[in-house]
Amino acid sequence: MREQPLNEVTQLIHAVKMGLVEGSYSITNKTLDIFKYIIMSKTWQNADALMQIVRAQSRIMQAALPQETVTSNMARRILKLTREEFELLQAKGQHFADDSQASLSLHKLVTQTSENCVSVDYSVPQQGLREALLDHLQEVETELETSSENISVQAEEHIHSSEIILTLGHSRSVENFLKRAIKKRQLLTIIVAECAPACRGHNLAASLAHEKNVEIIVIADASIFAMMSRVNKVIIGTHSVLANGGLRAACGAYTVALAAKHYSVPVIVLAPMYKLSPLHLCEQDAFNMVGCAEDVIAYDSVPARDAKVYSPMFDYVPPELVTLFISNTGGHAPSYVYRLLSELYHPEDLEL
Amino acid sequence: MSQFQKEIVQAVLIADNNVWNFKPLSDEGSTALLPLVNVSMLDYALIALNRSGVEEVFVYASLYLQDIRDHIKRGIAAYASWSFKMTVHVIGGEGCRCFGDAMRDLDAKALIRGNFILLGADTVTNADLRPVLEQHKRTAKFDKGTAATLVFKECASGAERTGNELLIAVDKQNTRLVYHQRLRANHKESRYHIPLDVFLSNSCVTLHHNLLDPQIAIGSPSMLSLFSDNFDFQTRDDFVRGLLINEELLDSRIYVTLLPPAQYAHKVNNWLSYQLVSRDIISRWAHPLVPDMGVYNLQQQYVFYKDNIYKSHEANVSKVALQENVVIQAGSHVDVGTTISCSVIGANCRIGKNCQLNNVFLMANVIIHDNCQLRHCVIGSTSVVHENCNISAGCVLGAKCVLPANTKLANTLVTSSPSTQRTEEQEQVELEAIGPSAYIVNDLTTGDPDDSDAEDTLLPQTTTLCIPKMCELQQLANVDSDCSSSSEDEDEDESRAATPLPDDTNIFLSEVIDSLSRGFREKSNPDFLILEINSSRYAYNMSLKEVNFNVVKAVFGMESIIEPPNNNVLAAINAAFKQLGPVVSNYIKSEDAMLDCLKALEDICEENELVREKISQVVHYLYDKDFVSEDAIHKWYSQLDVQEHATLRQSLAKLVDWLNQSSEDDDDGDDDDE
Repeated sequence: MREQPLNEVTQLIHAVKMGLVEGSYSITNKTLDIFKYIIMSKTWQNADALMQIVRAQSRIMQAALPQETVTSNMARRILKLTREEFELLQAKGQHFADDSQASLSLHKLVTQTSENCVSVDYSVPQQGLREALLDHLQEVETELETSSENISVQAEEHIHSSEIILTLGHSRSVENFLKRAIKKRQLLTIIVAECAPACRGHNLAASLAHEKNVEIIVIADASIFAMMSRVNKVIIGTHSVLANGGLRAACGAYTVALAAKHYSVPVIVLAPMYKLSPLHLCEQDAFNMVGCAEDVIAYDSVPARDAKVYSPMFDYVPPELVTLFISNTGGHAPSYVYRLLSELYHPEDLEL
Repeated sequence: MSQFQKEIVQAVLIADNNVWNFKPLSDEGSTALLPLVNVSMLDYALIALNRSGVEEVFVYASLYLQDIRDHIKRGIAAYASWSFKMTVHVIGGEGCRCFGDAMRDLDAKALIRGNFILLGADTVTNADLRPVLEQHKRTAKFDKGTAATLVFKECASGAERTGNELLIAVDKQNTRLVYHQRLRANHKESRYHIPLDVFLSNSCVTLHHNLLDPQIAIGSPSMLSLFSDNFDFQTRDDFVRGLLINEELLDSRIYVTLLPPAQYAHKVNNWLSYQLVSRDIISRWAHPLVPDMGVYNLQQQYVFYKDNIYKSHEANVSKVALQENVVIQAGSHVDVGTTISCSVIGANCRIGKNCQLNNVFLMANVIIHDNCQLRHCVIGSTSVVHENCNISAGCVLGAKCVLPANTKLANTLVTSSPSTQRTEEQEQVELEAIGPSAYIVNDLTTGDPDDSDAEDTLLPQTTTLCIPKMCELQQLANVDSDCSSSSEDEDEDESRAATPLPDDTNIFLSEVIDSLSRGFREKSNPDFLILEINSSRYAYNMSLKEVNFNVVKAVFGMESIIEPPNNNVLAAINAAFKQLGPVVSNYIKSEDAMLDCLKALEDICEENELVREKISQVVHYLYDKDFVSEDAIHKWYSQLDVQEHATLRQSLAKLVDWLNQSSEDDDDGDDDDE
């Protein structure tokens, strides 16, 4: 950890800490910008040096913002890209282009243990790597920009006319998804749990209420179970998806998922690819983030003197409570997450 | 250029405001750098400013300037969260002795270009001050005489008193401050005295009796020049009081804003509030200023566990040892059998076997040996506590102390060497030694405490003057309720609390009191004081008779006489006259003047119980020192109404008899023909 953080990195960390940059999407976008800047301007001679820099910077971000997993996810994507491009170029140079161009990921899977994957020497300078990377980065950027759009396109497949949908809090993907559904389907009823204490559900309800032809109901978190019996589908967003397919989602998501399980209501989770992180739930305490005590109980009140007040930000939702993930590439079952992860990230990069 | 200037939001941080309260640690380093939950207090203030969008900060310190500079440099190198988009300048020096000096210096340097945020370096807040600043700007647009907006925080009325509580009256329509009074620590009022004028001159007044002063204010540029114009303003309270009294004269007004309930703000000005704020930070009331948010460093240092336990990854502690509300920093090691609760452990501390720590604040590199019991105490960095020690009830150990084994301490301050005390005027005090490098510091004001501070917090001077210390918080609340139920006797300072209508005479009197108290404190040249009093006299158009009367009244109205140490009023009077004698004798020359002087005493007797008890000695003293003549005493005595001043006559009778006897050879028919 001797590396010095880049100016841009410290600024991003500061902005996230101060709440100037909010939401996984903006953080991912900003992180991508930083890596793009590194690739473009940093003086690196070979792929190995570049990977060192990327690793170092993302470690710093991870240490400063342990809850924001998207930064590390993005770093893993960049590392994977670098590896791929490097190998591709090397293969081209050695006239093995035909071999490695065809379905790279499947090829990798099959030959993962074979020596040609392990023994790649990334410290060899490679011509045109920078340009190739920047090209590829453009693709990642586009993917990021269109991810929300790509998810909401699938709304019609999942939401049908005169259905009752329940959601929780305010997620950008869910908002777009529902808006799309409202446009396409008639007589929808959308129940929004307010998600106390931040009550971001109010914002979502207000935003959706602008649309025509839809009934919006805002409920307190306590009435989730009571309302669940009449709900057709639960659609929620998530903060990140863990390696086992479990969720780290807004506080209250576990309540919703359990109630849905009780009434056998399908739970659909909208998760763009950048939220997939190769992490497992291990340290129960450190997993969560605890907010301000003032939100829960007034500072002046008598019980506040002795009480320990927790206002957790997240819930862990185990994978068996999730019916379907909808990502920008389509729908996946929770059990399939591991496969997506191995496609998305290189196994050597799981530990940064 | 002007539009460029407007964009920068500036702030001033005043460090070293309550130095004396943090003895003995204040003798060893800047109090602004004192760690509060392992982050120095200055950092909390800087982060609060950064979160409020401040771009330029002036840290004003008088002591340990270089330490603060180094700390700022280190902070920037470590990417502290305040180092972004904010420049920090450290200014000040030994010459600056109080808050007022700092403001005058800032005015002289012309560093502040517009409205600015004024904060104590000991303020901990998560408030966003931007709306307050905007509101101040709006008010300033409307009222050109806006000098400042004070920011207060409502607190529960049953909360522990730390000396920061206030009673204010605010004009409801425009939130203008019309009355300001500090409540005393360790004291529960059953009633409040509010001058009638507050209600007479304002149509709609709101009274707030449960406010906390977190030392946050928004200042107009005129605030600095007001400090320069009124060189007797020493503290912010002086400024507020002065402006309220001379509102028309100075054409300046102060406005008030209350922070919304969701925002936390507190001032750490003594060990009691240190304990309170530590507790609040640990139990996340000051979110996001909590240990696990990486307040100071870029990296996060702690992992948050159940029961408000913040443990560094590099701390070697079993989970069993930590009970609740504990912060433990990297490199610390705790042995088996030890239990820790409600405590803060600094970096690289070592705690032995079977210790019990409750409400303990360890700074870096402290070593505690086996079987120690520590409760409610602060232990400075690199101190060592040997086996079987028992430290409790508000003890404070300075840096590098070594406590020998089996020491029992309660309610004491300990320093490591006998000469670390900052002794400038006060004589070298012999410190009691309890070990090779552990000396007990007497906190019952051996010398003068920081004067401005005593005035600032209105410490209970009727009891012994000592630093508010840590204690069991529940207990404190109980003691308070007891004291309020037993409806205590008449307040001694009633006369001061119940300020009558401020007509010219009273304003003149209060100004003379101010001049004299300051002159007395600073031992200034009596000629200057006479000059000052004379100028006040002309300002308020006082007759000579009134001046004579009021000067004497003012001498007795000084705080040192109203609330004398140990209730020894005679000693206090003696001290006062020793210093201010020339001033008094300048006015009291003729016999008429002496009569005025004695009439003033008559007035004082009614107000001051202590003087009433000792009136004959007081008069005798004045006679002894040739302030009043025998004739004047006789004349006065005979003028005293028999019914109304029965007790006064009674106590004076002996003295008059004695005077008669001693001057029998003189014309003793003097008092007969009156």
